[in-house]
Amino acid sequence: MSTATNGTLDAKRSPMWSAGYGHDAISTRTLGFWLYMLSDAMMFTALFVAYTVLGHAFNAAGGPWGATVAHPGVAFEETVWLFSSVLAYGLAMIALTKGHRGGVMLGITAALLIALGFLSVDIHEILHLFRMGATPERSGYLSAFFTLVFYHGLHVVAGIAWMLVMLIQVAFTGLTEKVVYRLLNLRLFWHFQAVMWVFMFTFLYLRGAIV
Amino acid sequence: MTHTTDNAWQHPEVQLASGGYVVAYVAGLVLMGLSLWIVRGHVLAPMETGIAISALAGLAALIQCVLLLHLNISETQIWHTVALILFIPLFILAIGLSSWMFHGLYRRTMLMPAAHVSAPATGAQAAGAMKAPG
Repeated sequence: MSTATNGTLDAKRSPMWSAGYGHDAISTRTLGFWLYMLSDAMMFTALFVAYTVLGHAFNAAGGPWGATVAHPGVAFEETVWLFSSVLAYGLAMIALTKGHRGGVMLGITAALLIALGFLSVDIHEILHLFRMGATPERSGYLSAFFTLVFYHGLHVVAGIAWMLVMLIQVAFTGLTEKVVYRLLNLRLFWHFQAVMWVFMFTFLYLRGAIV
Repeated sequence: MTHTTDNAWQHPEVQLASGGYVVAYVAGLVLMGLSLWIVRGHVLAPMETGIAISALAGLAALIQCVLLLHLNISETQIWHTVALILFIPLFILAIGLSSWMFHGLYRRTMLMPAAHVSAPATGAQAAGAMKAPG
């Protein structure tokens, strides 16, 4: 056990550190997961780069692009769904600060259902674009556009699956240390999706509609 | 070490995340709604629109980092914040340098429509056209 680590981690305020529990699992695991989320943000960066450099009319190869493909109105509807889901997960986290197991489960269930609402709008919009001939293989511009849309959609699917797993774990094992750090990591993951969506909404949908 | 398991929810990482969600929700929707209004209503010229919605996105992301991700300079969160701040140059360099490279490429390969080519580039553009393999 490292005393240096104990000193930097605010030992006075936490009952766990004062009990000689030098290796603080919750803090180290959330920091590790946060670094992973930042590398995921680099993935998003790379995809935004592709979308930016392919965002010219000639990369659409005569196919649909710009305001025909990017619909800010639908995207704002998705914004409301996603932010609401993030809010519901936040309320679950407030219940967690008081150790209310039922409140945590209620909040996560709400976040999960609202995320399904987001997904249904997202899929509906993708199918609508497919029907009007805007498919990923149509042009370089559309490949970049749909790669971003799918990559983001995949995160929402992963978040929904993770929430389902956490609901089961909270129900059957309660708020143990392992369950708590997983809930914190899911909080980082889910709330980071809100930050990523701000960039999706602005640079994919709004910027796409004004070029 | 039973109490560590029983009271895991008393950990500072849990306790610091105790609020700000409603404010973040309202602020996020208002800022994104404002961006939507600017674009839909053609309130500004294209260039100004781009700058305005980028600024609003930056502000919304900042609010979410503080209120949702609870990034601050307290002892428990300082390294989360440092990691994000060190990430920002990578983000700007990746997007900025790639845009610059492709901007030059498009100009020299004459893929850019003539209206979008700035005047001083005409010479380079003509030279590029002669060298272009076709």
